[in-house]
Parts: sequence; structure tokens; C-alpha cells
Amino acid sequence: MLDLVFWAPVMIGGLLAGGSCGLLSVYIVGMRIPFLGVCVAHAALAGAVFGALAGLEGQMLLLPALGGAVVTATLLGLADPRKINMDANVVMGLLFSVTMGLAFVGFGLFSVLGKSDNDVRSLLWGSLNYCQWNDVTLMLIAFGLLVIFVLVFRKEMRAIMFSRLDAQAVGIHATAVWTVFLILAAMLITVNFQTVGGLMIYSLITNPAAAAFQLTKGNTRTMVLATILGAASGLGGFLLSAITDLPSGAVIVLVSSLVVMVAAVWARLQKR
Amino acid sequence: MNSNAIQLEKLTVRAGRKTILAIDNLSIDRGELVGLLGPNGAGKTTLLRCLLGLQKHARGRVQVLGKDIKTLGARGLGLLRRRIGYVPQLLPSHSEMPLTVREVVAIGRTGIAGLFHPLRKRDWEIVDEWIERLGLSSLAAHGYTQISGGQQRKTLIARAMVQQPEVLILDEPTANLDMGWRERIVEIISEFYQLGNLTILLVCHELEVLPSCCNRIAIIDSGELVADGSPGDVLSEEMIRSLYGLGFDLLAGNGRYVVVPSEVAHA
Repeated sequence: MLDLVFWAPVMIGGLLAGGSCGLLSVYIVGMRIPFLGVCVAHAALAGAVFGALAGLEGQMLLLPALGGAVVTATLLGLADPRKINMDANVVMGLLFSVTMGLAFVGFGLFSVLGKSDNDVRSLLWGSLNYCQWNDVTLMLIAFGLLVIFVLVFRKEMRAIMFSRLDAQAVGIHATAVWTVFLILAAMLITVNFQTVGGLMIYSLITNPAAAAFQLTKGNTRTMVLATILGAASGLGGFLLSAITDLPSGAVIVLVSSLVVMVAAVWARLQKR
Repeated sequence: MNSNAIQLEKLTVRAGRKTILAIDNLSIDRGELVGLLGPNGAGKTTLLRCLLGLQKHARGRVQVLGKDIKTLGARGLGLLRRRIGYVPQLLPSHSEMPLTVREVVAIGRTGIAGLFHPLRKRDWEIVDEWIERLGLSSLAAHGYTQISGGQQRKTLIARAMVQQPEVLILDEPTANLDMGWRERIVEIISEFYQLGNLTILLVCHELEVLPSCCNRIAIIDSGELVADGSPGDVLSEEMIRSLYGLGFDLLAGNGRYVVVPSEVAHA
């Protein structure tokens, strides 16, 4: 007999995490900034670590995690690569190393202070224990916000993805729209990383788009397909994880990577 | 109404402590087609970016369509840029996104439609109209990255034209194109000039890119304006040699110009 109390939030959580990260992945891969996932996830992790050190626990850890992620995303958005003469990926690398350093200094402080770091350590890998109805609600809100953003700013994001400089040249407020997007992405990654895992979310914000780009073209079709592939990877990964008792993040990575491989083979066969 | 589309006065642009552009005076009338020439690193692209407000200038005044760039805020700058069509020198390659040719052309209508407003039916009609005028109809649903360099360049020209611009800035629009494509682009520029109400600033290295209707040339070298006038007055063998070195000859015919190695000219 299926234990719906456990399985229902897991399945819906998997769908939402996969779908929202899949939609996000179109922009992440489109802009060639897959590093954003690890960068923001580590910023969130650093926030959570210092929140835990300050005595916060459970859902309350989300607040400092969100703070760390949003500050990092804002810095990334305002750093115009052309003005600072540095590629976005280099800026991300810099912020990633700083936030990772902070997070691991924080982990070191747990032992110095004689505290347990179990709560935050599990954030690195993701756990289905976190996937309860209140988590699903947060995932749903984050997904809803992303969908609203996409509907409102789709044409601006399409231009920014093509070229941020060109978008500015045609009179689009590229920096403002891009910064809002990054903040939203940071929120979404933070909300999802406790179930998918801080390290594993990287694959979920790149693989669905990588697969969709192989199979179709055009902005709308790609976004719809990436969302579906992401949702399928998320749901499939969560279910497999629940059945096998393996870490959810690792299983999602393998499932979404398999989707990319199948898409690549399919695209190659279609070209013959 | 000010008859100048573009006016530069005592313009100075710096990169760190180095002055990379210093132009005392340059004005371009509305409806004029001006060729902007100069060797690599002369400051041509920097000048274009100043006109678009993408590059800050240290001193002087840059006025485009009656607006002083330095006094404009983000909103004012955005509004001005929507009146300027810009075809960049480098074909954008920052995206993995498989956008179609039609979607890329539609980017030109994005700023005009404004934030929070989707592209309307009329916007898409304008997009399709320019796709057709530039002979891209059969490629409209193709991926932008799947078409040739010449077709990509045409797509970017269509993107600039759907803005229904008052000023069109073309930064080396024939770079990396073969001779056939180059001539097609030159024809398109000539057609735009015939429209009569469009100010065109055409940046190029090769004189053969200048259409016969181009009746004014400005030359920049080492960040300074070294010549400005009709092609007949400005283009001389001395000028070409001072810009590009010895060993080149200038050939002219039917209002078109070409620079060839001396050994070819004297063969």
C-alpha cells in the first residue's frame, strides 16, 4: 500500500523542483552560465551555515540561506562584464570561491564551538526528509514567481540571452531585468537545494535545457520542453531515490544526465 | 528642429589615463550617409558606442537626435536607443539558445514595445515585413546559429530596421563576408539611403563597402579625426598610404573606390 503521507509531497516536490529548475535552465544554459547554480548554492549554504551557528534550525535556516543567495545574485547582476572587463563566469568563479570558503570556515567553526553540523551538512547532498508539504508550498511559490517573470519579461530575456550588449543597444533595461532574474534564480535554487542538494542542483539547472536545445528550436518551444524534461527528471529521480533509499540529489543527477544523452543520440539519429 | 542627427563637440574618451578618442568637431545632418574609415584600433567602434551611450566619455558633448547623451538617465537613454538602429561588428555568440531568425529580428521591437507589454500583432507584421524585404522569408523559422555569416548579418540589419530608426549605425557590416555577400549588403545600404529620411553612419575598413551614394567620408586615425569631406576630397593615395602604409594604390570608378596592393595596380 502506497504511503501517501510520504509519497505525495515527494512526487509533487520532484515535479516542482524539476519543472522550475528546467525552466530556469533555459536561461542558465542560454547565457552559458551553468556555474550560477553552484555559485548561488554555495552562497546559500554559507548563509545557512552561519545561520545554524547563530542558533537557527529547521525551516528558519532558509532565511540566512536566502540572504546569502540573494546578495550574491545581486552582485552578479550589477557586475556588467563589459564595464568591469571580466567575463560573467570569472565573476561567478570569484564569488563561488569566496562563498565556498565562507561555508567551509563555518563548518570548521562547528567543531571549534563543539556544535553538531548535521543539519547543514545534509544540505550539500539533499534529502527527501526535507520534502514535506511546507517545502512543497515554498517550491510552488518559487515556481509561480518564475513563471510570472517569464510571462512578463520573456521578450526582454530573449534579447538578453542573445546578447546583453545588443539588448542594451536596442533600448532594453538589460541590467535591471537581468538582476531581477538572478535574484529570482537565487530564491528558486535556495528553496530547492535542501531537497535536491546544494551540489546536485547544478545538473538540474543545466541538463533539461541541454537536452531541449538538442531537440527543438525557438524560445517558447524550448522553454516548454525543458520544463517537461526537468519535471520528468525531478519526479523520476525522487521516486527512484525513495525506492532505493539512495541520496535524492545524486539520483536526479544521473536521471537528468541520462535524459541529455538520450536527447543527444535522438538528435543525431534525426539528422541522418 | 535641429538638422543635425549627430553632433560631437570636443569629445574626449579615456581608457584609464590613456586618451583613446579626441574629436574636436563632427556633425552629421539628418538623412546623410557618412562613411567612417580608419585602421584597426583607430577608435571607430568606441565612437559608435559613445553615440549609443554604451561608452562613457570624459569630456565634451555627444548629441544624438537632439539629445545630449551625458544628461540622459537610464530611461532617457533607453528611449534614445530605440530610435537608433545598431548593427554590431561582432556577430553575437554569447547564447546557446536556439533562437529562430524571426525571434532575433523581433529583438529590435522589444525596447519599443516597452516593459510589461508583449509584442503586438503590428510589431510582428513589421518584423515579417523586414524579413521579407531582406530576402530572409525562407529562413525565418531556421535557427540563427544554423544560417551563414552573411545571412546572420542580414538578420541583424533587419533587427535594426524593425526599430524604424532615425539613425542607422553599421559597424563593419561586411566583416568576414565574401565578395558576393559584400555587394549584396552594399546594395541594401544604398536602398536604405534612398528612403531619404534615414541617417546612416557606416563604419568600414574596406573602401569597396562604401556605396556610390556615399558623398561624405570621415577618417579617424589614432583616435583623432584626420579628414572629413567628400570622397573626392578625402580619398587620396597619400591618405591611404598614411593610414595603411606604403604599397597600396587607390582605384576609383562610378563613385566606388577600392584599395589594392601597388603591385596589382601596376601589373
